[in-house]
Amino acid sequence: MHRGKGMKFVGDSRIPAERKPNIPKDYSEYPGRTEAFWPNFLLKEWLVGAVFLIGFLVATAAHPSPLEQQADPTNASYIPLPDWYFLFLYQFLKYQYAGGDFIVLGAIVMPGLAFGALLLAPFLDRGPERRPTRRPIATGLMLLGVIATFWLTYESVSHVDYEQRSEQYGVKEEGEGPDINTDHPGYAVYEANCLSCHGDTLQGQGSNPSLLKTEKSVEEIKHIAKNGIGNMPSGVFNGSEEELQKLAEFIHSAATGGGKGGEKGSGGEGEGGSDSGSGH
Amino acid sequence: MSKKQVSRRQFLNYTLTGVGGFMAAGMLAPMVRFAIDPVLKPSASGEMHPVVEVSKITNTPQRFEWEVKQQDAWYESMVQKSAWVYVDKNDEIVALSPICTHLGCVVDWSSNEQYPDQFYCPCHGGRYTKDGVNVPGTPPTAPLPIYEHKVEEDMLYLGRAHDRGGGV
Amino acid sequence: MLQKIYDWVDERMDITPLWRDIADHEVPEHVNPAHHFSAFVYCFGGLTFFVTVIQVLSGMFLTMYYVPDIENAWKSVYYLQKEVAHGQIVRGMHHWGASLVIVMLFLHTLRVFFQGAYKKPRELNWVVGVLLFFVMLGLGFTGYLLPWDNKAYFATQVGLEIAAATPFIGDQIRTLLAGDPEIVGAQTLARFFAIHVFFLPAALFGLMAAHFIMIRKQGISGPL
Repeated sequence: MHRGKGMKFVGDSRIPAERKPNIPKDYSEYPGRTEAFWPNFLLKEWLVGAVFLIGFLVATAAHPSPLEQQADPTNASYIPLPDWYFLFLYQFLKYQYAGGDFIVLGAIVMPGLAFGALLLAPFLDRGPERRPTRRPIATGLMLLGVIATFWLTYESVSHVDYEQRSEQYGVKEEGEGPDINTDHPGYAVYEANCLSCHGDTLQGQGSNPSLLKTEKSVEEIKHIAKNGIGNMPSGVFNGSEEELQKLAEFIHSAATGGGKGGEKGSGGEGEGGSDSGSGH
Repeated sequence: MSKKQVSRRQFLNYTLTGVGGFMAAGMLAPMVRFAIDPVLKPSASGEMHPVVEVSKITNTPQRFEWEVKQQDAWYESMVQKSAWVYVDKNDEIVALSPICTHLGCVVDWSSNEQYPDQFYCPCHGGRYTKDGVNVPGTPPTAPLPIYEHKVEEDMLYLGRAHDRGGGV
Repeated sequence: MLQKIYDWVDERMDITPLWRDIADHEVPEHVNPAHHFSAFVYCFGGLTFFVTVIQVLSGMFLTMYYVPDIENAWKSVYYLQKEVAHGQIVRGMHHWGASLVIVMLFLHTLRVFFQGAYKKPRELNWVVGVLLFFVMLGLGFTGYLLPWDNKAYFATQVGLEIAAATPFIGDQIRTLLAGDPEIVGAQTLARFFAIHVFFLPAALFGLMAAHFIMIRKQGISGPL
């Protein structure tokens, strides 16, 4: 390249007027066997990328991204679970000396040490040796960290049933509006006594089961409304006997699919039926 | 030899561009379709809304208002609409949009004493004759849009307003 | 034609040296999976970048529909997923890509660690890399809240409690993140959106640029 006296520029800019030919530099004498980044190596890299992209798109199309019900800060029965890559920390804090009174230790000091060590690894492991077997302390600590992370992650979800969660917390589309006959005389009673726990369309929320699939008879529903079942305390319903009858008929008719009809006296079927049906 | 090198290099360059293009397309195709979805959505069906009993419609344009449920993606709202409605010489009901085609102000029937039988726009003095055609020499360049209408059981139903071409 | 456009720009901008800087370097054989298959471990970094590109693009497109507001956030996500063509795919790319980027980063970090590639003279690049990891985790944490569904809400509450455990300034940190000392709500969502969409990506781009410039300057570490 021309330097010094006689240099020419494009207009009044600082761009040199002398054109350089756009040809690759010569690496033929470079030590070791190499290959040009562009286009040889990049082509291989992009082929890997293309295969990767296809796999990713297929997986994405096959698994719709989950969306639960809209956030409800008053939902006390929700069991939170972080995204999977924070599970190890979440689990770690459950242990006696990492959570509770020792929360500072578990939430700040220990992760701080671990991540701080990771950040400063080059300054802690300063020897010239690169092979993992020749630097056993660094390798050992890293392996320990990885195994601990995996184990904590496994521990945190080993008892979690993701399918059940998605069913329980997921958006319930079929339970919306049209199935419920809000004109039924029992709906007003339902609204007053049950809606706050079982939802505006009987869909249930949290650990409060949906009433849409209950197989209980009118008599059984009346009994549960007064005396409770499972987590449901007794005495939730307070109203007259007549209202109770209407309520039970309403729930029964909604559950048996006759939500629109709301006809009377369908208590015959399912009388001697199962005692499950209260969700899970 | 050097010639062969160049052609191999060129081949690699073409392949590279192809693979790169494939990746870009694979990534961007769903996203672009996602982004342009509103353009490709079929326009809302011309639903008709009851506005007023036919018996109340006279030869003089009267302004009637009604509410339409508007679904804006996830946001539902009630939007007020209005129209100037009258019966013309052929006993046909005419429903004109009150939105001035000049700059979107709301026109009024014979509100200006100088032009008693015309629609008058207070913003820039735009005028329209009774059938909604703009008066030459005033700001608007197109007639007032006209509503689709139908009559059922003595009730006037209005749909969407359509632009009429050919201003004066 | 293309050549003419290139020449026209080159005359004014002198881009040939720039272009040769990007395209011209020799890649050693030991990182090339075409030579020995075990070199596939060198792909993790590049794939991390690739997924990051997917994340940036899909994120940009998602903001065309998303609203960071507690009344509408969930509804807009539900709408774009159910009603908009390919909404399911685009949100899916962002959702699963977020997990994939962490997996790839993890693998890339392990590769670099176990090969001792962070040793002199590459210490700084390792530090920048770990910072990138933190930024990614931050993006994951803030992005988790945005759909405003139950799992987002309650997981964020837990996360904020953990942040509040910091000695001395815990409550201040929590308030700074959530926008309110007690409520996790409108302000939290607005803040998390701003952090997720502007602040952390800005940090991410800066760090990535530093990461790549350093790799380009120093070259890939030699074989073991």
